[in-house]
Amino acid sequence: MAEPILVLDGIVKHYGDVTAVGPLSFTVDDGEFVSLLGPSGCGKTTTLNIIAGLLQPAAGRVVIAGQDVTDLEPRHRGMGVVFQSYALFPHRTVFQNVAFGLRMRKVPREEIRTRVRRMLEIVGLPGVEDRLTDQLSGGQRQRVALARALVIEPRILLLDEPLSNLDAQLRKRMRQELRDLQQRVGITTVFVTHDQDEAFEMSDRVILLNHGRIEQSGRPEDIYDTPASRFAAEFIGNVNLLEGHVVGADGPQVMVAVSETLKLSGVAARPGFTPREPVYLMLRPERIDLHRQPPNGQDALSARIRRRVFSGDVVSFELDMDSGHSLLCTKPSQDEFRTFAPGQAVWVVPQACRVLPRAS
Amino acid sequence: MQSSRKLLVAFLAPATVLYTVFLLAPVSLFLAFGLMRYDAIQLFQPVLTLANFGRIVLDPFYRGIILLTLKIAGLTTVCTLLVGYPVAYVLASGRSAWRGILMFLVVAPLMTGEIVRTYGWIVVLGSEGLVNRFLLALGIIHDPLKLLNTQLAVVIALVHILLPFMIFPLISALASQDPDLARAADTLGAGRMRAFLEVTLPLSRTGIMVGSLLVFTLSAGAVVTPSLLGGKDVQMLGQTIYDLVLHTLNWPLASACASILLALQLCFVTIQIRANRRALRRS
Amino acid sequence: MLSAEADLANPASLALQPDLSVRSGGRTLRAVPGTLLRLVVALVYLFLLGPIAVIVATSFSSTHSMAFPPPGLSFRWYGEFLRSDNFTSAFRFSLELGISASIIGTFIGFFTAYAARRLMERRGGVVQSLAMLPLLIPHLLISISLLLALNFVSLPDFASLLAGHVLICTPFTVAGIIASLDGVDAQLETAAMTLGASRLTALIEVVVPLVAPGVLSAFLFAFVVSFGDVYIALFLAGPGTTTLPIEIFSYVQWESSPVIAAITSVQIMMIVVLGLVIEKLVGLRRIMRV
Repeated sequence: MAEPILVLDGIVKHYGDVTAVGPLSFTVDDGEFVSLLGPSGCGKTTTLNIIAGLLQPAAGRVVIAGQDVTDLEPRHRGMGVVFQSYALFPHRTVFQNVAFGLRMRKVPREEIRTRVRRMLEIVGLPGVEDRLTDQLSGGQRQRVALARALVIEPRILLLDEPLSNLDAQLRKRMRQELRDLQQRVGITTVFVTHDQDEAFEMSDRVILLNHGRIEQSGRPEDIYDTPASRFAAEFIGNVNLLEGHVVGADGPQVMVAVSETLKLSGVAARPGFTPREPVYLMLRPERIDLHRQPPNGQDALSARIRRRVFSGDVVSFELDMDSGHSLLCTKPSQDEFRTFAPGQAVWVVPQACRVLPRAS
Repeated sequence: MQSSRKLLVAFLAPATVLYTVFLLAPVSLFLAFGLMRYDAIQLFQPVLTLANFGRIVLDPFYRGIILLTLKIAGLTTVCTLLVGYPVAYVLASGRSAWRGILMFLVVAPLMTGEIVRTYGWIVVLGSEGLVNRFLLALGIIHDPLKLLNTQLAVVIALVHILLPFMIFPLISALASQDPDLARAADTLGAGRMRAFLEVTLPLSRTGIMVGSLLVFTLSAGAVVTPSLLGGKDVQMLGQTIYDLVLHTLNWPLASACASILLALQLCFVTIQIRANRRALRRS
Repeated sequence: MLSAEADLANPASLALQPDLSVRSGGRTLRAVPGTLLRLVVALVYLFLLGPIAVIVATSFSSTHSMAFPPPGLSFRWYGEFLRSDNFTSAFRFSLELGISASIIGTFIGFFTAYAARRLMERRGGVVQSLAMLPLLIPHLLISISLLLALNFVSLPDFASLLAGHVLICTPFTVAGIIASLDGVDAQLETAAMTLGASRLTALIEVVVPLVAPGVLSAFLFAFVVSFGDVYIALFLAGPGTTTLPIEIFSYVQWESSPVIAAITSVQIMMIVVLGLVIEKLVGLRRIMRV
């Protein structure tokens, strides 16, 4: 297994009395697309700046391709950075912007011309070389920023919420283009975003950050199906979380009493749950089977539909359980589910519950 | 990043050297002179004494100068405030087409310098100047008024020269106010005048303070304007210092006067801050 | 007191950027000025500009008297100005001094402004306030102190005069260039540095072209401050190093003649032109930003 191309080891960063980041450690493999995902203030941009060398950590190391770069200035680290605001030089043309990094490296003029032109084609911007960056649209400027960062053939590409200034439609399109480009060029990429959909669509791996620490790290599917904490479960997609206590265990399966009358069992997120320990029972809305009649041979719970929301491709139901709890259930917008109506009594079979720790 | 620190030191060095060597050191040295004894031959004797300050406080001649300086500087400050406030108000609320030109017209005279403007008043207030001609033509007077070489002339000219220094801080303070505050007062039934008096005016306090301090300082230390327009009637602190330095060559006494000038400045600021605090407490 | 000091920086930068929409975002106060208010303001402007207009009118007087309106029109006083060695050499000297002082003042102001705004993470405001020091100390005092210091360290006349002028110009150049720098996105330099530029290179390649109009207008403003100064030159000027204002001051104390009106009119016209250029520059800069 090749050595990871980027290693963060024990990174800590303070702002005054507050520890913004850390201790934080993770690695990124060559060619991987990793997203740093989290709410505002979770430290993702700070971490990115530390990788880039724009901020100095109070402790810890940054290692790139086996070389400790913690004390190196940004310009010696071989990174390409795309900023949220793009930071294009307004007094320079597109060509001059993209060529800047090559000029700094004293690349001969002819070679600059070839490389810049080729890169502009790769990002999909032929023919705008001589325009001033002020004259371009948002999407075009984003591509120029990308071209500028990539043309210097950096070891790692860092992107700080580069799509957040684009309108929704353009944003969706750029996600795919960016991902395709990254795979074609094969460059290791660290991508900062607060948008969970974005991170999931584009990444090989997602690192979820909360208050400067890693909440969970893994493939999008893994985080979605097997979140390790309430924060992770809630941050990604919709989720039902029921508070309860452990009443029994059988290997990885744990029985949870959500109330006197409602007991459900789920897979434990971590080993070592003890009896009477407070936990959450987690259930994804699409993992709930809905029946008009109590199904044979399964333990079904009775409930009533309180509300029905039609969202085009999906129908959502707010269910009131007999025990008093509410559940959100989503179903594909097919005929069999469209006909369920508010007020209707239904039978609910939960599939794939998980048990998460709960701090009281 | 170490190179950043080296750059920082290098970039701050010129100003630091300039200010330390040419400003702080000489000024401290000069102010210390106030405590030296005057010597007609050597300029000073390195003997510590309070005689200079004593002379200023006790000698009625110097007391009179300080009082006159306070009077003229005070009058100038009040007048610039009264005259400048409406202008600042209009400029802070005006529409952008006019605003640029109007602001320029306030700055431009400022840039011509004190001599030019004082000279302008010599011409205007002279016996054949604009004011006298105007009044004679209207029949209000029969002989030209002696307007030059009076305290009045000095105040008028100082107000004219220092008006921009009052107007700009006022504009700054007024323009940074949230217009919704006065609007809210108005909708609550206060009426435009009261909204102004109770909301806009107090909130422009910082602007008034800054402007007043600038005008007071500059008028108290004025030399050219009182010399040219005041004649024998007017002897202010700045002129006194000038005479003492260049003609009498009594530097210790000149220094003591300069310290007094700074002290007046400081008193003015303190009074303002106290008044400000009292006004804040009241509201 | 610190906030008052911070506000004291405002007159300088406000004077360099007379357009307010940059500062207040185009807000308007509630009470739209009534006609009475406008009348008052018009009168004040008359008061402000009257003496200037009178000077210019008197400069064209055909007679020796200082009467207004002048009895006849003529260029004779301008001719007398040009013939007078005293005045023309004083004018030339003021120009030389002004250009030297503003060049030095602009450089010092630039370095200080950049250090305060870009190289210092948090204490930049302190540097900015400290730079305003010469504004708080009466010029009278600055000048005399330099004169005194000359007793102990001998410097050529021009040097001390130059030092004094640089001192009074620097607060304005610092304030003006800071205002310009604030209009440039700091992230541009950061981007340049990630692309391989050192801080210095980023400064030259990115910052300098973008603040050039602001720096130029700071330079011109410093020149105007230097040219119009009286107090520094009052004590530090000597034979051979007399500035125009001092020459005028000496003359006016003993004589009265429209030749002064001619000289000051030339000065006024020069300043008006420079002022318009500054306005244009700052305006141009805003157009570039859009």
